[in-house]
Amino acid sequence: MPWNFQEIEARIKTEVQTVGTPQELEAFRLKYLGKKGLVHAVFASLGQAAGQEKAAIGKGANDLKKLVEELIEAKAGWVKAAEKFEERADISLPGAGQALGHTHLLTQTMQEITLIFERMGFITVETPEIETEFHNFTGLNIPVDHPSRDAFDTFYLDAEDPSAKGRRLLLRSHTSPGQVRIMKEHKPPLAVIVPGRVYRPDAVDASHSFMFHQVEGLLVDEKVSFCELKGLLQEFCRRFFGPKVVMRFRPHFFPFTEPSAEVDIDAGILGIERKKWLEILGCGMVNPRVFEAVGYSKGKYKGLAFGMGVERMAMLKYGINDIRLFYENDVRFLRQF
Amino acid sequence: MKLSLNWLKDYIDPKLSTDELAERLTMAGLEVEAVEARGRDMVLEMEITPNRPDCLSVLGLGREISAITGRALKCPKIREHKTVTLKDLVRIENKKDCCRYIATLMRGARIKDAPTEMKARLEAMGINVINNAVDITNFVLMETGQPLHVFDYDKLSGGKIIVRRARAGESIITLDGVERKLDPEILVVADAEKPVAIAGIMGGQDAQITAQTKNILLESAHFEMGIVRRACRRLGLRSESSYRFERNVDLDGVLTGAGRAVDLLLQTTGGHLGGRAEIFSKTRISRPKIKVRISGVKELLGIEVAPAKVKGWLVQLGFKAAIKAGILTVVPPSNRADVAQEADVIEEVARMVGFDRLPAQIPVIKSANITVDARPREIKTDIRRALTAAGMDEIITLSMINAATLVKTNITQMPGIKIFNPLSQDQELMRPVLLPSFLQVAATNMNRGQKNLRFFEIGKTYFQGKERDALGVFLTGRRTHDWRASEKEQVDIFDLKGALERVFQITGTGAGYEDVAIPAFDPGCAAYIAVNGKQIGIMGRVNRSVLNNWDIKHQDIYFAALFLDEILSASHKAVRYEPISEFPAIVRDVSLAVDKSVPYKKIEDICRQQGGEILKSVQFIEQYSGDKIQPGCKGIVFSCRYQSSSRTLREDEVTQAHERLVQALSRDLNAVRR
Repeated sequence: MPWNFQEIEARIKTEVQTVGTPQELEAFRLKYLGKKGLVHAVFASLGQAAGQEKAAIGKGANDLKKLVEELIEAKAGWVKAAEKFEERADISLPGAGQALGHTHLLTQTMQEITLIFERMGFITVETPEIETEFHNFTGLNIPVDHPSRDAFDTFYLDAEDPSAKGRRLLLRSHTSPGQVRIMKEHKPPLAVIVPGRVYRPDAVDASHSFMFHQVEGLLVDEKVSFCELKGLLQEFCRRFFGPKVVMRFRPHFFPFTEPSAEVDIDAGILGIERKKWLEILGCGMVNPRVFEAVGYSKGKYKGLAFGMGVERMAMLKYGINDIRLFYENDVRFLRQF
Repeated sequence: MKLSLNWLKDYIDPKLSTDELAERLTMAGLEVEAVEARGRDMVLEMEITPNRPDCLSVLGLGREISAITGRALKCPKIREHKTVTLKDLVRIENKKDCCRYIATLMRGARIKDAPTEMKARLEAMGINVINNAVDITNFVLMETGQPLHVFDYDKLSGGKIIVRRARAGESIITLDGVERKLDPEILVVADAEKPVAIAGIMGGQDAQITAQTKNILLESAHFEMGIVRRACRRLGLRSESSYRFERNVDLDGVLTGAGRAVDLLLQTTGGHLGGRAEIFSKTRISRPKIKVRISGVKELLGIEVAPAKVKGWLVQLGFKAAIKAGILTVVPPSNRADVAQEADVIEEVARMVGFDRLPAQIPVIKSANITVDARPREIKTDIRRALTAAGMDEIITLSMINAATLVKTNITQMPGIKIFNPLSQDQELMRPVLLPSFLQVAATNMNRGQKNLRFFEIGKTYFQGKERDALGVFLTGRRTHDWRASEKEQVDIFDLKGALERVFQITGTGAGYEDVAIPAFDPGCAAYIAVNGKQIGIMGRVNRSVLNNWDIKHQDIYFAALFLDEILSASHKAVRYEPISEFPAIVRDVSLAVDKSVPYKKIEDICRQQGGEILKSVQFIEQYSGDKIQPGCKGIVFSCRYQSSSRTLREDEVTQAHERLVQALSRDLNAVRR
């Protein structure tokens, strides 16, 4: 019978690695060099072999014998030393040293969102929480005493706006005032992301908090279209929720964009079946009135803008059902992320 | 806004299943939030955005559905009823507040229940049924969107209507039975003596329709949106009428609404017309002619749309549209005040194409024309990295606090910024400091059995109208346990200082500490943190009395807070390489006993002064006490490292320098060498 010497050699080399004690080494020796061992069997097969095969089998058997002997000799020293070594480390015990702490899930989510846009070429800018009515409302085409303000109930501060006599400073109710600030100071092209805290006088429950976080995005240039708004946000959603995400753009109303849309994603990929479509963000093409308010020449620029709630994105992505968990800071919550 | 599909089908049959209709409406921007079966009727619960008051009626939605589906809308036929003009019936004091008013008098009406079908329609829309006269006004309101009101004419003092501002001190009991105080900011509908309705919001009990009413006065009017909205806010009162007025009602609806209601009232109550007054001031919304470039559609949406198609859709939506030389001239209908510029018209086109049919395309993002100093953000990331590596967890707390928590924390000098309109005391103040937020989180965790807490927060603090980024660091409970060590130890002030040193290391900031008394902290365990001689923060062990106030027992808490902008301005990341000396260093250990009051820093300072150029570093080794040290003293061990970058130091010059240093310590600090 023909022997596959290559395969046998490989097997022997692997097997010798598991040898750790003198008993195991002896068993290894007997298995290959003993009277009933493999090398014997190979030599014995010489009798039935044809003339040509004989030479090959003879050489193979000798090589095999030599290899096993060498391996045994090399291993013997190590086995002897190992026997003397009394204490063995129980590697299954835990490692020592300081375990890592956890960045807050909201920080992680905000970083994830901003990083996706930064990699596409956006710049992250932070703007203040304490704002003026102009930045938070008027500049964004939300007039005083208009029902479109109803969606933006706002905390006012016990402090006068130095730029508008008799009007109070306020806590921004969305990150969109960042758009106005940035456009007032800079000319296009602009590609900015504004993350931050916002405030609305809402009664606290599982889905409302009077303080939460948003990420705002703004892209302004001479040519920007609604198709690009769709492309940009589709790419974002794929990177954030995964490539299988299914989205839809639904017409909506925001005073500072025209057209305006809300983006929903299919709940299926998140394993939520309660409602088919989940709203995740608002967006649109910058309303020409906003360009006018910041002093851009009429008709020169187009822009797209979008805004999303960080808590909402994190709740959807990680299956969190109560917004209060974010601010309660129970370590058993914090240490899960 | 609810929409009964049975009612809708009186005017248009969309030939779509309920689900399909809901989907089409939603994708046209009229979001259907829920669908409810009501007997044989289906009712859609809709969210109508504030820019679309024209959709707050069955006919308004019918018009939209007609445009979406291409099916015809059949408006109800209104029979005209002629009557005499009553000149003195109505007077309007200020036409800016009310630019149109039609009062129609009907005599000999019989008040009873409304017809069954009308009642079913109203109930499906969530409207309470009352009697035929009132129900008809509500029916026409829901059908056309025009708010209406009916008065018992015989209860109107002087038999006339005056639209005027309320006088100071006047009040009215509204139909909901509540007495409401009025003032000149509020517009009322009055008779010769007193207000009988708050204009556009709710009628008064005095002139309401009752079973005994014989003569009815019907009001169909247009009240200015701002004045209605402000009155709603002042009074905390809203109604189906005010909801529409504050969103702006179609001016042309005043006439249609009056005509439809009169027709139905005559049919239903059996009365006859007794006269009419119409006041139409010149104030009329002139609808703008909007120029829309066909090329503008491509620019804004990113795709070409055939001009004929654009025009077709606009016409279906009730717009007038004409194309000439690539320019579309568009006149929106009187109920579409939201459409006033090119972009608004193009949005209508996009809605009709369907947002989902527009292709997605990745934008080319040019480098933005803006430079931002990234350091303030980077420094936060660096600090997070350093502190999480030290095993600390980041927390995020609410920036608003109850002012009482400051008092609880012995903080009295920092006012914070008051919120003018808080919903509760827990939101009354923008916090001036971070410590109360941390104590709140600690108390919550400890109550739940979590006692070993290592927290930090990068959050804002607020004062004098400004906000400022701060870092808080918080330690309590057991030091992270190394299972190989025999003892389990509690954290102390040096764990806190170690955490701060990590912050200063990663930001490249050199900081000093200065003992000081801070009311929130224990005397003897509190310090200012200073950078370049400027105080940038505080650290210490939280005072026991403060902890008692927070119900935190049996555990010490260590806390530090500092301003990030100060760290930023002091941090210097630019480092230059210093060649590693090829010459050997000589290390001499020193063991001293000094008075307990002597800070180690002083020892190190003297060493540096005396050690000369060859003293490269002073390294603290340990502090100890015990029998061998005389009372009132402490033992200090440190090592001095001598080295030159240009030559091998001689034994005798090191000894000389070292002796000079040790003698100075004995002389200046009364230190005894051990």
